[in-house]
Amino acid sequence: MALISLLAVSAIIFWCVELLPGDAAERILGRNATPESLALLRETLNLHLSAPERYLTWLSNLLSGDFGTSLVADRPVLDYIASRIANTALLSGFALILYIPISIALGVITAINRGRMADHAISVVVLIFMCLPEFVIGILLISIFAIKLAWLPPLALIGQANGFGDLLRLIALPTITIVAAMSAYAVRMMRESLIEVLDSSYVLMARLKGLPTWRVLLFHALPNALGPAINITALNVAWMIGGVVVVEAVFEFPGIGRLMVDSISHKDVPVILAISMVMTGAYIATNLIADVLVILLNPKLR
Amino acid sequence: MYGKDILRLSRRKVLACTGAALAAGPLSVALHVPKSWAQAKTLRIAAGEADGATGTMDPAQSTADPDAARINLVFERLTVLDDAFAAAPQLAKSWESNATGDEWTFKLQEGVKFHDGEAFTAKHVVHTYKRLLDPKTASPGASSMAAIDPDAIAALDDHTVRFKLKTATVEFPALIANRFTYILREGQPESELRTAGIGTGPFKVKQFVPGEDVSTFVKNENYWRPGLPKVDAVELRAIPEESARIAAIESGQIDLVWDLGRAGVAGLQKNPDIKVVTTRSPFVLTLSCWADTPPFDDVRVRQAMKYVVDREQMLQLVLRGYGNIGDDNPVAPWIEYALQAETRARDIEKAKALLAEAGHPDGIDIELFTSETTPGFIEMATLYQAMASEAGIRVTLNKAPANDYWSAVWLKQPFVCSSWSGRGADDALAAPYLSTSDWNETHWKRPEFDAFINEARASTDVAKRTELYQNAQRLLREDGGAIISIFPDALSATRANISGWKLHPQQSTKDFSEVEIG
Repeated sequence: MALISLLAVSAIIFWCVELLPGDAAERILGRNATPESLALLRETLNLHLSAPERYLTWLSNLLSGDFGTSLVADRPVLDYIASRIANTALLSGFALILYIPISIALGVITAINRGRMADHAISVVVLIFMCLPEFVIGILLISIFAIKLAWLPPLALIGQANGFGDLLRLIALPTITIVAAMSAYAVRMMRESLIEVLDSSYVLMARLKGLPTWRVLLFHALPNALGPAINITALNVAWMIGGVVVVEAVFEFPGIGRLMVDSISHKDVPVILAISMVMTGAYIATNLIADVLVILLNPKLR
Repeated sequence: MYGKDILRLSRRKVLACTGAALAAGPLSVALHVPKSWAQAKTLRIAAGEADGATGTMDPAQSTADPDAARINLVFERLTVLDDAFAAAPQLAKSWESNATGDEWTFKLQEGVKFHDGEAFTAKHVVHTYKRLLDPKTASPGASSMAAIDPDAIAALDDHTVRFKLKTATVEFPALIANRFTYILREGQPESELRTAGIGTGPFKVKQFVPGEDVSTFVKNENYWRPGLPKVDAVELRAIPEESARIAAIESGQIDLVWDLGRAGVAGLQKNPDIKVVTTRSPFVLTLSCWADTPPFDDVRVRQAMKYVVDREQMLQLVLRGYGNIGDDNPVAPWIEYALQAETRARDIEKAKALLAEAGHPDGIDIELFTSETTPGFIEMATLYQAMASEAGIRVTLNKAPANDYWSAVWLKQPFVCSSWSGRGADDALAAPYLSTSDWNETHWKRPEFDAFINEARASTDVAKRTELYQNAQRLLREDGGAIISIFPDALSATRANISGWKLHPQQSTKDFSEVEIG
């Protein structure tokens, strides 16, 4: 099933890229193109072959484990995208590490303080972050923490990092931006489902048994309330893997999303296809993991 | 039941912790951090144009701005251009031509060494030019140097090279001071040229991988000009978002940037930690129409389109005063051979009369293509639309995507915004307006104009040559299809502790050898 999806995605993406005007040779030569140099370059890049021929060549190479060579960068696709995937994984990893406890904690706080000041305050802030596009959050953070206060560097130029602490400083602002944008949904989802669970009769039963509140929350209510939040998280993770393009652009972060955008503008088909495969694969995988987690948490589904 | 639940949860916790640990493992491996950069004096540069995966260091294939910056760090040319675009020596000490200007002999610098220790001699020059002109190289620069006979480039001795030209070219030493003619080391394999070229320049390539954001260069300890370069290493990256570029220099993440917008510079000028460095440049911003396509095929329409422009206002509103006024002539007034004429003043009545004479008493409707690809295009087009409407020239703006503007719109649409980097008089006139040019963006083909240029190229007498170049400019100004109202300055900025930096008015030339930190 997953393999069929991957194959279908690759064919659709290839066809879509074919529909875009121009080709890699034109994009490489740009303003300096002459008919002779274009023809010569097309020949070297195999762009003179027909579209189905090129797709089938790509597919048969892929089946033997070869992702091909970037038309534009002239280096193996795998080597090219690996460092970008590592960077995106790094950023997403840090974001996730912050995101999970923050969303759960805020969700719990708002739910148990329902209707009180704490709930209103957090809900309003969360709503604001939900409405603001990531690039606005990013630019706001840059102007406050990097320009005004000069606490953190504005751009995530991770090539400049000198050690792990430096790296943390460099990716702090993009991480916070992603977390702010992502947790908004999760906090609200967490709050709603926890309120529902807290109102249920089995929680009342647990309370009546005389269990302390933290125990009721942690072992009785929370596991049942996590389900929807996990699904939201799966979507969020997929969004992150798909490249938080906007965040990467604002902070100049060399991630997979930027590479995808660049490759599309250069019409670098092998790179576009490889990234799509990786993204699709990751999407399928995160959804699978989320489903498994939800089943694990819910005895009724087991 | 309760106890069982706790057990189950704790098992899950263990699972979760293991999962997190597994996920964190590869993350920490992913950090490959360059060491030993902290102590060395590293100049951190950010270009505005991102060439991404198309980046190259092969001079013959150089197209983008970061390409030119990298090539300038590593390679050198026989000649360079001074601020007025006249030829000055670099790897060539001196030069002379025969009486007819079709045979040129260059004396080379002695004692210059390539990065690998090989002595720089005439054979490397011969190799470089033969490769550049070889159709197999398919260099976009070959056509502009078609005058050189590739089979007659000869090394007379180790430090003398002779070029024979198919057509006489008096400006030959200036002609070869372009972005393609950097001297390569003969014997270096073709496959290395894109990423690891060996030159004679002030810096050596440490790492350059197309598509990766930073390229790094280290000082050439054996550089032939004494005392240079003044920094130990250079880090070059592209930051395409202007706001990000400005934030980076304001916070000190970057030492030197260019490609700044006029608004950005105005903001930076208030910051005491930043030095704004502007250079007068003959960079051309133009509105170009096809002189063979109605309604532009009537010279009176083209003139009316020129009369509607208020050039001073263009300068103030599009460039915020950072620039100079143009007079529909691509040769800026301070350039060698420039025509000195009174700037065309705005005259709406005259424009209306010309339009009426040309059979358009009710004005004309035209479509102008613009794009964000070059800063200033959108402002110039919008302002032109407003200025032209007063004379009954109704302009519809069509904003095209920036990423394929030069392949999909330029040379494909009859009325477009265009730009040309600063050039000397001959190149500025010939590249866009000669009828044989591949880039004839105005479809304006005048045998008289071609004759002026070709004759000027062959005249060894300076006065005669000046007159011919000026005749060509006069003809173009009156009859041509280019509306050139402004020459933007080149704008760059450095941290306050950086000295010795100036943008060269020839955009593809960037000399970092004298830049100093602290």
